[in-house]
Amino acid sequence: MDSESPQGLTRRDVLRAVATGFVIGTGLLVVPKRYFRWPQEASTFVAKADHYQLDIAGILYRGMTELGVGTTEVQGKRILLKPNLVETDSEAPHINTHPLVLRGAIEAFLRLGAGAVMVAEGPGHRRDTLAVYEESGLADVLTEDRIKFHDLNYITGYALPNAGRQTAMKTLTFPALFQEVDWIVSVAKMKTHHWTGATLSMKNLFGVMPGRYYGWPKNVLHHAGIQNSILDINATLKPHFAIIDGIVGMQGDGPIMGDPKPAGVLVMGRNLPAVDATCCRIMGIDPYKVSYLERADKWLGPIGDGSIEQRGETVASVRTDFELIDTISAHQGIRLT
Amino acid sequence: MNSRLRADGRAALLGRVLADGGFPGRPRGAFQVDSTAWGILALSACDGPTKVLTQARHLLMRDQLGDGRLCVDTTHPASFWPTSLAILAWEHSEPCRDAQQRAIRFMLDTTGRHFPRTADLPSAHDTMLKGWPWVGETHSWVEPTAMGMMALRAVGHGQHDRVQEAVRMLLDRQLPHGGWNYGNALVLGTELRPMPESTGAALAGLAGLAERDAVQASLTYLQQEVIRLRTPISLGWSLLGLAAWKHTPSNAALLVERCLANQERYGEYETSALCLLVLGALAGREPDDPSLLISSPVDQGRSGSLHH
Repeated sequence: MDSESPQGLTRRDVLRAVATGFVIGTGLLVVPKRYFRWPQEASTFVAKADHYQLDIAGILYRGMTELGVGTTEVQGKRILLKPNLVETDSEAPHINTHPLVLRGAIEAFLRLGAGAVMVAEGPGHRRDTLAVYEESGLADVLTEDRIKFHDLNYITGYALPNAGRQTAMKTLTFPALFQEVDWIVSVAKMKTHHWTGATLSMKNLFGVMPGRYYGWPKNVLHHAGIQNSILDINATLKPHFAIIDGIVGMQGDGPIMGDPKPAGVLVMGRNLPAVDATCCRIMGIDPYKVSYLERADKWLGPIGDGSIEQRGETVASVRTDFELIDTISAHQGIRLT
Repeated sequence: MNSRLRADGRAALLGRVLADGGFPGRPRGAFQVDSTAWGILALSACDGPTKVLTQARHLLMRDQLGDGRLCVDTTHPASFWPTSLAILAWEHSEPCRDAQQRAIRFMLDTTGRHFPRTADLPSAHDTMLKGWPWVGETHSWVEPTAMGMMALRAVGHGQHDRVQEAVRMLLDRQLPHGGWNYGNALVLGTELRPMPESTGAALAGLAGLAERDAVQASLTYLQQEVIRLRTPISLGWSLLGLAAWKHTPSNAALLVERCLANQERYGEYETSALCLLVLGALAGREPDDPSLLISSPVDQGRSGSLHH
């Protein structure tokens, strides 16, 4: 592929490898598997937010700075925000990340000095990304804010070796656009999920896999194993930050047919398993009973509450149990006691 | 009106042709197989120059793999969904006849992954009915199946067992209240939502192969839906699907104009989306025009060497 480096590595990977001195005499750059060490302790920030007309940018900015994300780190960086856009229904806006949360995230990153912020998504159900973009209300917001939206489903891909190795997939093909950005931020929705128990920042990254290579739905990942694919994508992509829209989430038969659940929170952090585990506890779900989270623990990041420093609101103060459905096997036995 | 549409479409598409031939995905981007196949179909429908079409068809032949498939790119051989598009793009081109025959053979020999139903399966459809997948070793889904049917029907295989089974597959995946989505009708007993692009593709694929009564609810859904559509993939497929059943909306031209105007907001459309819109705009205006993607639902009965 035209945008692929000789080893299928991102510019970011190559720079990291050079910085750590791993240049070997073959004339090729080889990045050792363990040059990147996943944190085993993490901080998450929980903010109360009852509705979308609040100063979401201010809330996110405060959360980021509390988590140590400052101008020194963000200055001049190109930030890619990946929302959760699946399909649309005027009666069910809680399917997708709310556009005003995206606007808040954009403003917060720009306030921190980001060089550019963009939004990108490759919906898994609809071939017509533009329709989802428009009908979700996101187009109105981004057009007004003059923020670029990228359709990831039709973009040229570049392959990276599968760093997770939980599926049989030897490589994963990501959008070439990712080679041009510095940060990838999963801006997900707080939802139950009928295959995985919960869908949060980690599962949200299914949407970065281009439909032209993975189909609609992203059925390659289903046949490879949903839980395993979540782990492989996250282990390979190494996203930088997560923001969860839990102002109004989805309970019951998520991710598309469930009921709205006003949870009144925004949750964020650098480590995605830690953020998702925190969200699970807020939703009344035991993260150790969500297979991909349990397996991510002590590998991609911590999910134990003892390993996650909780900032902002306490989990106990915002916990609101999301409805689980007895007949859905992924919901059985996952309630946090 | 038609001549103006064709002239406008031709000008827009010729503006996308790459210096070395073929079409890019995004304007001023790199050559893409699927965009080139769509470009050939749309440019043919607009009476595009033979030289440009010939060059584009040869570029598709260049990228065909040995077993007949056309992939999104050759490093991803499982992504063979452009094969049905290439069959259509090579139609009526004698120099491409061998390549087209190999692509037809590939389609007839290829299915998605199918498996017997088990009690715990959350979906409700017949998992054994074969159509075509987007990507190898995955399940059959609505749009690639519809495209496969259109391609095989166009080359005289409308009565082939594979096409007839695909008809049953699409009808089985139809939503109880009408319409199709990507291919799951019910999950955990809940009926999912229809999508205009999937519904349009399915209706286009089924035209001439299914009874009107069997798809009436879907036609009704799409007739109600089409008037609010503003994006090219949804609108293009919807117009193609409705035209195939002779239900072209009276304000189709207005809908297309509105959709084109949306480029001021979103930027120039991706080539395949633009081509779908052009084909949708022309569909139903001259029902016997063989250059249109959905020219006639009637199987020509052409007996090729691969006829079952």
